[in-house]
Order: sequence, then C-alpha cells, then structure tokens
Amino acid sequence: MTQIKYPTQRLSLRFFMLMLVLFLLQVGYGLVLSIQHVDPTLLAGVLNFNVVRAEHLNLAVMWIVCGFIGAILFVGPLLSGRDWKMSPLIKLLFFALIAVVIWNAFTLPLAERGIAGWWAGQPWLQQGLEYLEPGRIAGLAVLVGFAIFALVVLRTFPPVRDWNEIHWGLGIGACALMVVWMFGLFYVGRLDLQEYFRWFVVHYWVEGVWEVIHISLVGYLLVLMFKADVKSVGFAVFWGVTLVWLSGLIGNAHHYFWIGTPEFWQFWGSLFSALEPLPLVFCFWHIYLDAHTNRRPLDNAPAFYFVLGSVVLEQIGAGILGFSMTFALTNVWSHGTWVTPSHGHLALFGTFGMLGIAFAYYAVPIMRGVPNYDQRLGRLGFWLVLSSMLGLAFSFAMGGTVQIFVYRVLGQDWFGGEVAPAMGLFKLLLPLFGMIFAIGVGVIAYDLFTLGSRVKSPLTDLTRYLEQPLHEAPRWSRPLTGFEAGLWLMTMWIFGAIITLGLLSFNLARVRVGGDPTLPYLLAAVGYPGLFVTTLAFVSRFLASLEERASVRGVVPIDTSMPAAELV
Amino acid sequence: MSCKSNGVSCETPRRHAALAVLSVMLVIFVALSVFSFIGARGQVTPDTVSYSSYDADSGKRVFQAYNCMGCHTLVGNGAYLGPDLTKEYANVGPAWLAAFLPSAGSWPTATAVGMQLKNPDQLADTKIADIEAYFKKFPGAKTRVDRRGGHASFMPNLPFRKGEIGQLIAYLKYVSEMNTEGWPPQIKVEQSAIQTTALHVAAAPASTAAAQPLPAKAADRAARGAELVKDLGCTACHSTGSDRVVGPGWGGLYGSTVDLTDGRKVKADDAYLVESIRQPNAKIVAAYSPDVMPAYDNTQLSDSDIEAIVTYLHSLGTVK
Repeated sequence: MTQIKYPTQRLSLRFFMLMLVLFLLQVGYGLVLSIQHVDPTLLAGVLNFNVVRAEHLNLAVMWIVCGFIGAILFVGPLLSGRDWKMSPLIKLLFFALIAVVIWNAFTLPLAERGIAGWWAGQPWLQQGLEYLEPGRIAGLAVLVGFAIFALVVLRTFPPVRDWNEIHWGLGIGACALMVVWMFGLFYVGRLDLQEYFRWFVVHYWVEGVWEVIHISLVGYLLVLMFKADVKSVGFAVFWGVTLVWLSGLIGNAHHYFWIGTPEFWQFWGSLFSALEPLPLVFCFWHIYLDAHTNRRPLDNAPAFYFVLGSVVLEQIGAGILGFSMTFALTNVWSHGTWVTPSHGHLALFGTFGMLGIAFAYYAVPIMRGVPNYDQRLGRLGFWLVLSSMLGLAFSFAMGGTVQIFVYRVLGQDWFGGEVAPAMGLFKLLLPLFGMIFAIGVGVIAYDLFTLGSRVKSPLTDLTRYLEQPLHEAPRWSRPLTGFEAGLWLMTMWIFGAIITLGLLSFNLARVRVGGDPTLPYLLAAVGYPGLFVTTLAFVSRFLASLEERASVRGVVPIDTSMPAAELV
Repeated sequence: MSCKSNGVSCETPRRHAALAVLSVMLVIFVALSVFSFIGARGQVTPDTVSYSSYDADSGKRVFQAYNCMGCHTLVGNGAYLGPDLTKEYANVGPAWLAAFLPSAGSWPTATAVGMQLKNPDQLADTKIADIEAYFKKFPGAKTRVDRRGGHASFMPNLPFRKGEIGQLIAYLKYVSEMNTEGWPPQIKVEQSAIQTTALHVAAAPASTAAAQPLPAKAADRAARGAELVKDLGCTACHSTGSDRVVGPGWGGLYGSTVDLTDGRKVKADDAYLVESIRQPNAKIVAAYSPDVMPAYDNTQLSDSDIEAIVTYLHSLGTVK
C-alpha cells in the first residue's frame, strides 16, 4: 500500500512518535545504569541506581506498549473495513499515557526516601517491585487505559463471526493486556506468593499476551508487505499462538524454582519451558516462507529489516538463551546473575521493541505520503542497534559467567571483595556497547521524526533497483533456500547447546568442588560469541538475498501501485 | 491442511484438540498452584516471624518502599548491583545489620557491631551479648568486619525512620528462614582452590581502645578521640567537614549555635556534645530525625573516652 485508506489510521502516528521519545529516554537511563555498574558512586544520593533502573524498566514497558497501540491503530481499520470508532477516546489515551509517564518520573524517585504512599494497605505512589515499580495510582490509570483500548478495539472490529485468526489474536491480546495487568495490583505479604503473582504479570504478559500480539502483527505485516496469503498467515498465527500457550502456560513454572514454592515446579518448569522455543522456531520458519511467497524487491527495506530482526532476536534471545537457563540444573546457576539480563535484553528489545520500530517504518512513510523515502538512515540505524544489542548481550552473558563462578562457586565477597573486579572487563564493555546502541536509536528516531521533511536523495532505493543492470547475484546475496535457512538455524542451536552445557558444567565436581573454571569459561567463550556472530551473519545473509531480488535475472520489476491487502 | 471431508476442514478438529489439551494444562497449573500455598506444606509465612517487637510484614513494606529490589536480588529476583539478600540475615545477623543500615555508606567496625550487641532488641532475639559468640553464630559478620570495617561502602545512606531498621531485620529474618529449595547453591569448593582470599584478609582492627587510660595533654586527647570515632564508626554518619552525611557534620560545630527541631537554639558546648552522645534523642538538630543515632552509656564509652571525643570535636574548628 502506498497511501492510507482510512483517515483514522493517522491516529497511530502520534503513538509512534511518542514511542520514539520514550525509547530515547529509556536508553538514556540505561546508559546511566551501565556507568553506575562501573562506578556505583555516580549520582549516588541524587539519582540512585534503583530509581534509574525503575525508570529504565518502566519506560521499556511503556514504549513497547506504545508501539503495540500504534501498530494496532494502523492496521485496525484495514482489518475492520471501517474507521476507528470512538476516536476521541484514542486521543485521550495518548495524553493519559504521557501523564502516566510524567507521574512515574515524579513518584519512582520517592524510593530514595522510602515513601511508598501506604494507604488502605496498598502502596499508592510506588511499590518497589521489579517491572511493576509504579504504585496503585499509576497502576489503576494504566488499567483504565487498557480497558479503553480493549473497548475501542472490540467496538471497531467486525462482528465476531467474521473474525479470522489475526482478529482473534489482536482481540484477545488487547483484552488480555488488561486482565493480566490486574494481578500486579494488590499487596501480598508472603514473599513466595507475591513473586508467584508478580510473574503472572511479567511472564504471562510477555509469553501469553505480547507474544500473541507479536505473532498476529508480524503475520499481518507480512500480508501487507509481501501480499502473503491470509490463509497461510492465519494458519501460522493460530498454531503459533496455540504453541505459545501450550508451552508457556505451565512454562511459567521456570520462575517458581527458587522463590519458596515446592520442588515439583522444577519438573514442570524444566519440561514445559523447554518447549517454549517451539512457537518461536515456527514463527521464524514462517517469516522465511512468507517473505519468499513473492519474489518482488523489498520496497520498504527498514520495515522488513526490523521485522526480521524481531523474529531472529526472538529466536536467539527468547528461544535459545531462554532455553539455556530454563532447566532447574542450569537455572540454579544463572538465576540472579548477569546471565539473565543477556536473555532479557535480547528477548524484550529484540522481539517486541523491534516490532514497534518495524511498524513505525512501515506506517510513517505512508502517513507522511513519502512511500519512496530515503532508506539509508533506517538501514544504518538497524545495523547499529542490532550489533550493539548483541554486544550488550555478550557483555552480560560473559560477565554473568564470571559472576557465577566467583560469587556462587567460590563464594567470594561482593563489593570491595572479588566479584565486581572479576567482572570488570565486561562491566566496562557495557557502557561502550550502550553508547553505540544509543547512537543507533538516535539515528532511528531522527530518521522517523524527520522522514518526509528532509530533501530526498536523488538516487532513492526504488530507482536504484530499477536502474541497476540485471546481473547474476554474488554468492552472499544469492536467493536463500529453505535448506540453507535451516542450516543457519541449526548452527544457532548448536551454539545454544554449547551455552547450555556451559551452564550445566557448573554442576561438575571439577568446577564446583575443585574450583577449576576452565570448562564453563571455555564453553561460554565459544557459545555466546559463536551464537551472536552467527546471528549477525545470518541476518546479513537473509537481507542481502532479499535486497538483491530486483536485480536478479528473471524477476519481475517492482509494481509500485500495489493495492492495499485487506482481510475483510 | 486443505484436506476436506464432508465440507469440514480437517484443520478444525485439530484446533479443537489443541484447545482441549490447553484446558487440561490450565487445570494442572491451577492444581499445582493451590498445592504450593496450602499450610500443610510448612513454608514459613511472615506472620509467624518477628524480630523483637518488629513484624516481618511491616519489614516487607519498608523493603518495597525503598525499592531495595532495584539494586539487590531477593530469592534471586531483582537487580544485580548489590549482593543477593536471601540468606543475609542468617549470614550476618541482626547486630551487624543494625550497625550497617543506619549509615549504609560505610561498613561497620567490630566496635560498632559490639555496640549493637547491647541493643535490647538484638539481645531479646539472639540472646548473644558476647562478640566472639556472635561472630561464631554469624560468620559473615566477622568476615565483613575484618575485611571492610570502617571503609566506605557503595550503598547510599538511606533516611530510615524510627523502627524501619528493626522491621527490615525482621523481614530479612523471615526470608532467610524460607525454604528456597537449595538456592542459592551451597558453596562446596575446597578452600585450597581459593588463592585470592587469603591475601585480602586483614587482621581485625584493634578494638582495645576503651581500655587505654586518657592521655593528659589535649593534643593527645584529641588524637585518641580521633581514633575512637573511627573505631566506633561515628564517621560513617558524621563528616569532619560541615556537610550532612546521615547526621550533622562536625566541622565548625564546637561553640556554634545549633537550631533544634523544637525551635530552641543551644550552644554546642561540652555539656551539649556529651549529652548528644549519651542521649542522642534529648536534643534533635533541626531537619534531622530522632532514633537514628544509638545511645552510648558509660559501659560502652567511659567519661574519659567521651572527653577525648569532645576534645577531638573541638580540634575540628570552632566558631568565633
């Protein structure tokens, strides 16, 4: 599609812009955190680490939700065959979101003075729980916001009997966002029970709700970009979602190993969450198939770059790294160390963050009326954030491996002791990669803010494709076959297995009693860099093959007047 | 997926089967969850744990109010800037925590921990008044005192209110009593495998200060006072300049006029300074809270010790 079909699709633009602002803020807080890890006295007493971290996590949730709302607002009318109903409520939602963000910026720092705003047994200003830091006032405001959003989606969608899988995915997703949020809205005195319900929100949001929205949106974006068959995408969405729930429902048990809940969770958690990568492999495979259903050139490269990034980082961040630490015997070591944020950063930013950016890159040029925009900055931004996020994950994972050995095996002391100095090198890498990431985000935000108002480059991508003489594709850009994609995937999983064995090897008497770290260090030093380099190479290979399409012999040139793909 | 019989896609029964399996899993999950929290399991709950008169639930509220989880992990969940606190109470005990928390920016000395052994809450809870016995029961406290006592820590000073420290200790006690299925993993490494530790362990700082007689000369007295305030950990809260750390700074304090919370003004003379050490709650400086500083009676600090400290404070400068 080259222009919007329904005027209310434009409501999504402000959410995409807000998403970028919040993303920039979140990255700023992240940079401060990474420097505070190196020098904990930085801003101590002014902006303590816990406050910066609360903002970092809170904004992460906020901008990802903002991206989801933007994406759903853009596709909703196409899926419904009519404009959004109750658009004033959507505008209200936008300002409410800004208000909540500002409110949190004032209430979260109260933690430095120990003010939670206890009233009627509940913390109203901030509650000091990881991922759920805001207090009841913000929590209830967000609940109302989700309720409004679910209402608007359900009122605008066609009658339920006309729903296809994408409607179901987004409809359930919008409602479940609200329902799952409620589990974080009450104070629990028992630590085990509190953690039990806290993971309801965190795990079921990510694994049960966001994942559903993610699969539906990726599916529909492929329909829009590649005219993928709706039936085929619907099949992928249904089985993707079902697999997510089949594995993720009891898979939540991997959070219940050590919080004071019974030992039997170790069995259920290890068993079912080992299945959690299945839907991700499935989704990964489908993007390969669906992106290859037609062999037209890529007319919006950055949008596809980020969709691919989202699916690939989901595969390695959530799938492979998640798998490596999901067994009780590996989790006992990775739990509570830097190994976990390696998984968390790749999975959360990769899967959900990149999807929001992909949709922004798809929708913003259309809304600004510049479908033939200069795509170079978008490509640059993608490579910057992808490679530096892999670098961050590497620093966390390697630092975490050292941390496990020094802290949990040798039982050495924390600050002033051995743990922080032992992790020193990797602590230093963190702000370094963080800086590159921040530059990447700056490039993306600048590009999307100013897209359409900048002077177009004389040689845009589209003309470049059309003017390029036909030639044989070089080896690196030859069409990617299913067999080759399978080999890449297998290589990633082999490195994943090495990582898993590395964590497992901490159980060996040689390591645990003898104090010899050679094996876990070696396996980590092979596994993590191997996985991340393979990932970079695969993304580069996949994109090269797609970029080359237009100039390969025998391919029909681009049809710029592609009609909007619709589902209704 | 396009095979059809009787006009019904064979995809439909497959989908129904998948949803049925999902329902079975939901039932399993709910059953496991219910079983996890029934009383028969014997997991400790916060209402059954207290530290002296403080209950663990209030402590949990304090823990959340300061967002401790934003730097530390508890049962492994939280942030990774500071150490995990799951077994903190069992490791260092209430006296070390009571000595550390009010002035978290500095690690407590053996004397400061010893002072907390006389704290009635601590005595009521552990029944230990002897520092050697305490260190035996809570070996982590000894390691920390030996290695870092008196040095700066990376934790910021937090403005704890009356009772909050006792409540936090009660909460950490509850958490350390929880059965966490063997996490964090027990340390099994042979001590011979750790080469680094031995190099770092320094001898315990001498805590024999209280036994020495008071030197006659003022300069010697001030030197001894300086030694005492370091040993007692006073400088964890008081700066020798005029800036605020936890308590007021000492620089230029002697002889100055101090504003109190009740609006009165007093001169910081010898009598005022002695009273502020013996009974810190008697006169509270404006903008500071009571019950933060421990009281030092004459079993803890002799009159001559106090005189030495006051002489030292005098040496830090006066207001003309």
